Amino acid sequence: MTAVAAKPAAGSALNPTAMVVGVVLLLIIIGACWQLAPGLAFMALIGIIVGGVLVGFGVHFVPVGGAPAAMGQAPGIATGVAMLAAGGGLAGLFGGAWAASQEGLVVSVVTGGVGGGLMMAITCMMVNFIYVYGMGIPAASGKIKVDPITGDTQTEYKSQGTEGHGLPFVSFVGGVIGGILGGAGGTIIYIMLLNLYKATLPTMMKATEAQILPIAISAAGIFAIGIFLVNAVLTAYNITGTIEGFHDPKFKRWPRAVVASAAASALCGFVAILIVTM
Amino acid sequence: MTVKVEVVEGGVPHTKIMVAGIVASLVCLYLSYLNVLTNTEMFSFFGGLAVVSALIWGSHTIKVLCSYGIGTGVPSAGMISFGSGVIAMLLATKFGIVAPIAALIIGVVVGVILGYLSNEVLNMKIPAMIQSLTELAVVGAFTLMGFAVLMTGGFTFTSLTTGSITILGVALPSFQVTFIGGSLIATAFLLGALAVQHPFNACLGPGWTQDRMLMCAAECGFLSMFVAAIMSFALVPAGSAIISTIIGLIGWAYTYCKYMGLSKRDAASWLDAKPIPEVEGH
Repeated sequence: MTAVAAKPAAGSALNPTAMVVGVVLLLIIIGACWQLAPGLAFMALIGIIVGGVLVGFGVHFVPVGGAPAAMGQAPGIATGVAMLAAGGGLAGLFGGAWAASQEGLVVSVVTGGVGGGLMMAITCMMVNFIYVYGMGIPAASGKIKVDPITGDTQTEYKSQGTEGHGLPFVSFVGGVIGGILGGAGGTIIYIMLLNLYKATLPTMMKATEAQILPIAISAAGIFAIGIFLVNAVLTAYNITGTIEGFHDPKFKRWPRAVVASAAASALCGFVAILIVTM
Repeated sequence: MTVKVEVVEGGVPHTKIMVAGIVASLVCLYLSYLNVLTNTEMFSFFGGLAVVSALIWGSHTIKVLCSYGIGTGVPSAGMISFGSGVIAMLLATKFGIVAPIAALIIGVVVGVILGYLSNEVLNMKIPAMIQSLTELAVVGAFTLMGFAVLMTGGFTFTSLTTGSITILGVALPSFQVTFIGGSLIATAFLLGALAVQHPFNACLGPGWTQDRMLMCAAECGFLSMFVAAIMSFALVPAGSAIISTIIGLIGWAYTYCKYMGLSKRDAASWLDAKPIPEVEGH
């Protein structure tokens, strides 16, 4: 079989045993954290899990086109899931981290979400500019006949032999939703770890809170990026290739990604918490 | 159903590269402990050599993993490698002298769980998935620890978070001029993540040859080492940083020439094009 015929292997089926194992793993880690460090660290772990699940779920909304989109043969933005999630999510994370230095949790998370959504909105718009005015192709979805938001028909504009092309309006909206969820999720992870480190590092390193602030910010930031990328790549493995947005049949795979993201975030968050509680 | 697009034909088997990568990285990381024994920071460059050996191993692991059509692009493998590696590495630094071995063990635990999640929960069903993600987490942890050694001279949590700045001839303790406090870890993160995914991304295809890809990995490693060595001027004495910079530069020049040679060997034909000549009378 040639490389062209070798489609990604992941089916859309659920693996019930593995899902149960994933949930049990999640509960074991939560229980271990409760035993080891109740209170602030436990709350941080819950926050990290919520943030990780938001990231994993949000990535499903982003219209990922990959290499076929670069050739105008599939709708979406012409790069991989991990790159897009990193672009949108990290832009949100930086916005949220900026707000975290002066505002409370809610304002920071909203700022992070707006940052991620704005980044994806700009990306989607520029992508459509290039598709329409640079490559000369209209936006048409291959997975649906009528755009569920605007009601525009799609099939007339779709070229034969392609899965659609360009970036239809519904995909644009999906991209913005994905950016908002990813940016907000990344910011929650960052703020939870930052609060935990700010509270525990002074006694651990025998210094004042102002002195350890660079360590707390940098460690929380790099952990947030690490956990974010792990979740983004796991979701990319769930999608395997291209997705158009929330109207795509592949979107129905999200329960798997939520379980995997929750377990992976719990594991990574637990390790990040162990640094200050051990 | 999974179809393996390419098979490893000839060349060094993956297990051998893996064992060599683990042993070489661990030995290099521990050789940097000479810094503590001799009370200097002259041996920081062993961290850079650990980075190179871990990256060579990691690029071959990515080749094994991405030969199955995972459909997400090669860079995603580099990202998950360092995303899980940074978590394992930072916890491992808490263990003092056994930190490199702790990084190996924590990396294996994190990698196996992530591998299980992607292979079973996400239903990837790729035979090499669990082993590859495990190896990649260890590669990420070793590479970051190597960068930490190269830039700071040590791999313990204290040496990564506590530095000193000299103001008017008085040395003051500082948490900001450090590997973690100064966020040099973020630069090391992406230097490594790009270097581990680039070789296979650049060399894949029907004309893939093992020695060319591994030479490209070594070249990326030495180039990253050179950049990190320049950053290490901020944290280690100038003499030690100069040693690391020179070793990185020599290693990069050597591997770059070898890589160009191998690329020319594998190319169907190549033309050593000269700059466009200035033609008179136009």
